[in-house]
Amino acid sequence: MAYPYRDDRETTTVLSRHMGEPEARTLSGWLERGGYEALGTALEMEPDEITEIVKESGLRGRGGAGFPTGMKWGFMPKENGRAHYLCCNADESEPGAFKDREIMRWTPHLMIEGCLIAARAIRAGHVYIYVRGEFFPVVRVLNQAVVEAYEAGYIGRSVLGSGWSCDITVHLGAGAYIAGEETGLMSSLMGGRAEPWMKPPFPAARGIFGAPTTVNNVETLASVPGIVANGSAWYRQWGSDESPGTKLWCCSGHLVKPGNYELELGVPLSEIIYDVCGGAPDGKRVRAVIPGGSSTPFLTADELDCETTYEGMQAAGSSLGTASPIVMDESTCLLSAMRRIAQFYAHESCGQCVQCREGTEWIAKILRRIEDGDGEMKDIDTLYDLCEQLTGRTICVLADSVVFPLRSSLDKFRDEYESHIQQDACTAT
Amino acid sequence: MYGNVKTAELVSLRIDGTEISVPSNTSVIEAAEAVGVLVPRYCYHPGIPSRPAQCRVCLVEIEGQPKLQPSCNISVQEGMVVHTASEEARSARRSVIELLLVNHPLDCPICDAAGQCMLQDYAFETRQLASRLNEEKLVMGRDRIAEDILYFADRCIICTRCVRFMREVAEDDALIVAQRGYRAYIDTFPGAVLDNPFRGNIVDVCPVGALVHEDFLFKARFWDLDQTASVCPSCSTGCNVTIDTVENQIVRLKPRHNSEVNSYWMCDHGRKHLIMSNRGLRPEAPLLRRDGKLVPTGWGEALTWVAERLREVSRGMAIVSPHAANESLFYFRTLLDRIGIAGGTFRVEQGEEAILPGFPKLQLRADRAPNASGAELHGFERFDGGAHSDPGGDAVAVLEDPLGELPDEWGREASFFLYVGNRLSPAARNAHAILPVTTFAEMEGTFTNFEGRVQRFHQALQPAGLARPAWLVLARLVSLLEDGGDGGVAAPTLASEAFQVMVRATPAMADLEWASVGLKGARLGSTEAAVPHAQAPAEGA
Amino acid sequence: MSRRIHPSVAGAQPFQLAERDPEAPLFESAEGQERLQAVLSRYPTKQAALLPLLGYANELHGWVSKQDMESIAERLDLTPAYVWSVASFYTMYNKHPIGRHFIQVCTNISCHLNGAQRVLKRFLEETGTRPGETSEDGRYTVIEAECLGACGFATAVQINDEYHENVTPERVSQILAGLDGNGS
Repeated sequence: MAYPYRDDRETTTVLSRHMGEPEARTLSGWLERGGYEALGTALEMEPDEITEIVKESGLRGRGGAGFPTGMKWGFMPKENGRAHYLCCNADESEPGAFKDREIMRWTPHLMIEGCLIAARAIRAGHVYIYVRGEFFPVVRVLNQAVVEAYEAGYIGRSVLGSGWSCDITVHLGAGAYIAGEETGLMSSLMGGRAEPWMKPPFPAARGIFGAPTTVNNVETLASVPGIVANGSAWYRQWGSDESPGTKLWCCSGHLVKPGNYELELGVPLSEIIYDVCGGAPDGKRVRAVIPGGSSTPFLTADELDCETTYEGMQAAGSSLGTASPIVMDESTCLLSAMRRIAQFYAHESCGQCVQCREGTEWIAKILRRIEDGDGEMKDIDTLYDLCEQLTGRTICVLADSVVFPLRSSLDKFRDEYESHIQQDACTAT
Repeated sequence: MYGNVKTAELVSLRIDGTEISVPSNTSVIEAAEAVGVLVPRYCYHPGIPSRPAQCRVCLVEIEGQPKLQPSCNISVQEGMVVHTASEEARSARRSVIELLLVNHPLDCPICDAAGQCMLQDYAFETRQLASRLNEEKLVMGRDRIAEDILYFADRCIICTRCVRFMREVAEDDALIVAQRGYRAYIDTFPGAVLDNPFRGNIVDVCPVGALVHEDFLFKARFWDLDQTASVCPSCSTGCNVTIDTVENQIVRLKPRHNSEVNSYWMCDHGRKHLIMSNRGLRPEAPLLRRDGKLVPTGWGEALTWVAERLREVSRGMAIVSPHAANESLFYFRTLLDRIGIAGGTFRVEQGEEAILPGFPKLQLRADRAPNASGAELHGFERFDGGAHSDPGGDAVAVLEDPLGELPDEWGREASFFLYVGNRLSPAARNAHAILPVTTFAEMEGTFTNFEGRVQRFHQALQPAGLARPAWLVLARLVSLLEDGGDGGVAAPTLASEAFQVMVRATPAMADLEWASVGLKGARLGSTEAAVPHAQAPAEGA
Repeated sequence: MSRRIHPSVAGAQPFQLAERDPEAPLFESAEGQERLQAVLSRYPTKQAALLPLLGYANELHGWVSKQDMESIAERLDLTPAYVWSVASFYTMYNKHPIGRHFIQVCTNISCHLNGAQRVLKRFLEETGTRPGETSEDGRYTVIEAECLGACGFATAVQINDEYHENVTPERVSQILAGLDGNGS
């Protein structure tokens, strides 16, 4: 598999510079490309110095929530002598997102290096990489990289003779979207159902095995070596004050050139969709975009001139999420698309909270019924009401995740719903 | 619970406009209860330690918090202002109920839980009178969870109380949630059934009709049940129970909360044993031996006759049952003293023990009787050496021991054989007089449990025929013996009076008061008065 | 594998689907013991080894049987019921034996937009099965999968441990033919 599309902009190849180069997967190939230099730097730094640099860089969590990474690390207790853990969240399963998979399958050592530096910063002696169970080929690459790094002394007892030890274990998920939620991941890692838990306790106080734990996304961790090696100012040359750095964009749906692109944060969404990805194929017009993975609000074709920063996407009424625009052209039945999204969340609800367990399924059923031509106008009110009921009332945000696209599609494409209900016909062309 | 915590620091907060101070480790749902506000709850159960906060029906508004908070999971804080019934809290509650009904079969007319169902109650409270549901319901069917427990998956609201009772209280991880999301259900390992001796509690904690006892299935409607506070008579623990009866039949036993004895729980042996032991032939009128035959008669005649015969008795033996009430044992002792029979023995049926790990005080104890301690207290000796020896030519007086497993001719040679009991075994039929008395379920009285806790039970059933409480019968006999039957010495007519006579005459019981024994019992020799009618945190509405 | 499995990745070896042996003992073999000990060495609790060992059973046998759950429970001091609770939560542990070629067609949103339903339909037609059923010759099991994380390469199809990307209905017969030629 060759990497499908490369963007040629010099400034935007921090994470993806070596994607598409099979040699970069091997330790020797990675070392030739300057690999593990940042780890060497980090080993000479005190944990809190590393955290400080990452704080200054303004790096924000790339798993969807955008929480400042340095601040998260700062929550970890400072005293030594107690077990701390780092979980690398490689359970990428947000529909639309396929960036972590790319990082792991092309540059696994970049992620490993990031894991080690982060582990040092939070005083963790063991890193669990929780990988989606479905990622068989990816895991093959990752496993090889971990074993190679162990054998060369980058992982394990006294990393590179520094006296600091850190283990890494690759841990496979088994088909549960909710294991990508921080506390769900920890429940799963401890050998349980991936059921999220109420915070507090926060992971930094009591995470896996009762010990302070930090959970970071793959892309977040992969961004760390560059920051440590080059400094926070270097990282801040890209993006905005609130959203510095670069981001991998996972572009899918109806696009001429779908794929993975690393771009500076802030590039207008329209530019990503039309200039980078070539817009919709066959000369069709774009009808709608879900910009940040399936759990973010829909944007119409007229709303794409927004700045792709965390704050910019919020201002546009959506969210950066995992930066995974799903593009739908004018031939798309948005009701059917929304139904498919709702069906996914119903399938993935862990089943603890009533709103999520019953509500997601009810929404999927209503949408399916409308799609089948048996809708009624009052269904629209019911759907709106369910949006209210499913927002902010559950342990985790899975229920909210279906509300974001649903409410926005009702707001922005009400005609689609009405047409299906009243004429049993789609407004798509 | 908040009532017992003395060490934690107190914090003040305001709940629905009422100020209250509670220990800082109190949850908001418990604090609300202390001001008389019962926040709806499904997954929360005061006897189950974990607080998963997953049913979301107890969400309340806390000023300063952007989102509603689960009151079961949030600890009180100084200055907290809680609104349990704000518009938003009520709307959230209403939506939880509506959502729970999405796949619920609404089969209340054939559901055992109807009338005591927390889904029904809250649906009514939140006025879910019309449904917006247009969809077909998911049908999951039913399953056998245990030999005696059925699981109706369609009624289940996945509050996981049952799972967490088994995991955290019974410490037997044999009941689980299988699958996930809307397809989730409660299950055992495929092919296995629950065989834990405390499994019946999962039916009690179920807030809806998902888990039901098969032997209660379709037996009675909740609103037709008469409920009586009582004490389980099946071992020496003396679990506090409620006896549910219909038309003078016991249909089930449910545990009644007592944090000093059984918490919210009881064992399965206790649940079943009483119902089983309730069967069998009962003497329904006093029987006197005339011309070699037992002849039924009235109480007046019987007591006069027995009293006369007892005056002639000088030596003999006595046998009592550890199933007899304290008051009965006391008056039996008084009678024996009067006629000059010393000592007396009792036998206690033994059985296998079982302990509830999450509340270890609750055990199915080897002594399968409720009042061995009471019998000892009144001067009777435990007798472990097989069968009672035959009285031969001496007199014999028996209180409530059924005399089963004895030879048919046992006691036939006795100079006088008085049988005060409620079973007619072949040996008992050799008596000169059979005075029919009530079982504990047909009377009021007290038992003393294994650790000297005196507990009251109330009358749940009408007596069989002319059967009367043994203490009443014996007290009458005593008074007849005292004054020759002219009524000069008053015998008690109420259990409370019998109790007062007993405690005044029994130094070990001197501290006890009928009222303070109340519904929760009191320890012998304990100076700390029990709080009458102390409220348990509520399990349901 | 000719060399010992490194403990760091011992719980993450999903590579043997093509060589699975439903009859192989789970732990009563040198390899099984090695795998068990290696996995256990990576976690502070035995329970944490549950997913890796369920994965191992799934990988070795092609599915997780009652017997597998019981023997894992025994090794980890868990109850079989608990193991069932966890195993049933996750969709990847097959609860029934599956065909030699386990075909998972992603029909989630990005693939949905690119005709995944037609791809799924074609796979079902060509293999003569219904979703989740194994073909009579034991060759194929086709299921509808949730997002496989290859949204830019829709429609994504995973067959055993290999990804097939940009799959169209037209390519289905060619893909199926390739499976029986050189394995997957």
